Amino acid sequence: MNVLDHVYTVTFVLLGMAVLLTLYRLVRGPSVMDRILCLNATSVLLISFVAVEVAVRGDSAYIGLVITFALLGFVGSLTAARFAERRAHDRG
Amino acid sequence: MTAADVVTAVTLPLGALFAFVGTVGLVRFPTLLGRVHAATKPDTVALILILVGAACQLPDVRVAALLALAALFQMLTVPVLAQTIGRVAYSRGEISEEHMVGDELAEALERGDRPEHRPGRLDEPT
Amino acid sequence: MSADEGGERAVDEATAGSGAAGAEAGRRRTPLQRMLGRLPTIAWLTLMWVILWGDPSPGTVVAGAGVATAGYAAAKLPHLPVGLRFRPLHVLLLVGHIVWDMFASSVQVSVHALWRPERMRGVIVEVPMRTDSDLLLAMVTGGLSLITGSLVIELNREEGVLYVHGTPIESERSVRQLRRQVRRTEKLFVWAFGTAADIEEFEREERREAEREARGAAEALPGAAEADDKEDPR
Repeated sequence: MNVLDHVYTVTFVLLGMAVLLTLYRLVRGPSVMDRILCLNATSVLLISFVAVEVAVRGDSAYIGLVITFALLGFVGSLTAARFAERRAHDRG
Repeated sequence: MTAADVVTAVTLPLGALFAFVGTVGLVRFPTLLGRVHAATKPDTVALILILVGAACQLPDVRVAALLALAALFQMLTVPVLAQTIGRVAYSRGEISEEHMVGDELAEALERGDRPEHRPGRLDEPT
Repeated sequence: MSADEGGERAVDEATAGSGAAGAEAGRRRTPLQRMLGRLPTIAWLTLMWVILWGDPSPGTVVAGAGVATAGYAAAKLPHLPVGLRFRPLHVLLLVGHIVWDMFASSVQVSVHALWRPERMRGVIVEVPMRTDSDLLLAMVTGGLSLITGSLVIELNREEGVLYVHGTPIESERSVRQLRRQVRRTEKLFVWAFGTAADIEEFEREERREAEREARGAAEALPGAAEADDKEDPR
């Protein structure tokens, strides 16, 4: 069990650093498409966090969240991308 | 430590590593298309690994089926998103020529095929 | 089990319909055929309902089937002639191929992310497709975009040509490799899910290409086959 605790710590630290890097790209841009990409990456990382949390607790109460995040993140990013396309067409 | 624990101990950090390196690529790659590659797909591999690792710690097959469902959704949605972003980035001209060896789509567009402006496309605002 | 069999039959019938091209699509279907056509979707929705409910008791299954049927009727989805087969062995081959490619190319891109990312080059190549089925083309593009090295940018439906962005590209050799990978993925998808008619068409196209290439080689011009490929004399 002790080994698994270390495993969880390493996983959380790596995922946390990934989130920080994603936020950096989210703030810096430069393009709207970059930000949409970061939005999607963040949602995937969130799902990973919840999944690891599920493993830590051995408890299934949060699994609904995993699926909800997965679908909401996809719909949100896709809508944003299509909207960006529409804007580009209107401009040019 | 059971076999399931060993699988978890391998897949969870490996998945997190994939997610982390993919994000490093998201920050470091100079082109938008390169960033699309780095952000969407190592993330998928990472998520699948992490879901496998988490499923091994669950007492019940029924709950593991839910995680498998999440992995399936991810594998269905990621290509759609990557393709949409790629197409939009291309049509907005947000690709840098200097990082490309060749571009046969541009050549085709010059020849007059114009695949992105043919009639009958539902999503093309006229 | 009976739902499964019904699904299989429905797919068969739909296949027979799509074989006779557009004329068949306008024909009115009997209520029984319409019911059978809906069964696979309803079975899938019911399965999701049961998984999300986390309890495979008969009550849940019946309730799920009820909700799925009601939802299906309310949504008034259009009928698509689904012409697909399922060859377990080839599907296994395809899944193995995709999983391996996903891992291998994820590692490849990761290495580039850590070591000199500014040097990474990409390329957009034009790859003619040999199949002409809408569903198969959609599957191929999805499968390619799932693999880390490649991303479909555009699909020219009339001529059946894919425009694929690939990365990392170091030399002419990796460009050729990318083309080959796209073609191989297409072949695997056609063999795994295509109907007999699809495979027949695929092989016809392949023979035609081979003939064209042989002619190109006979003229003994370097790259003649490539140029011929692009011109598409159909």
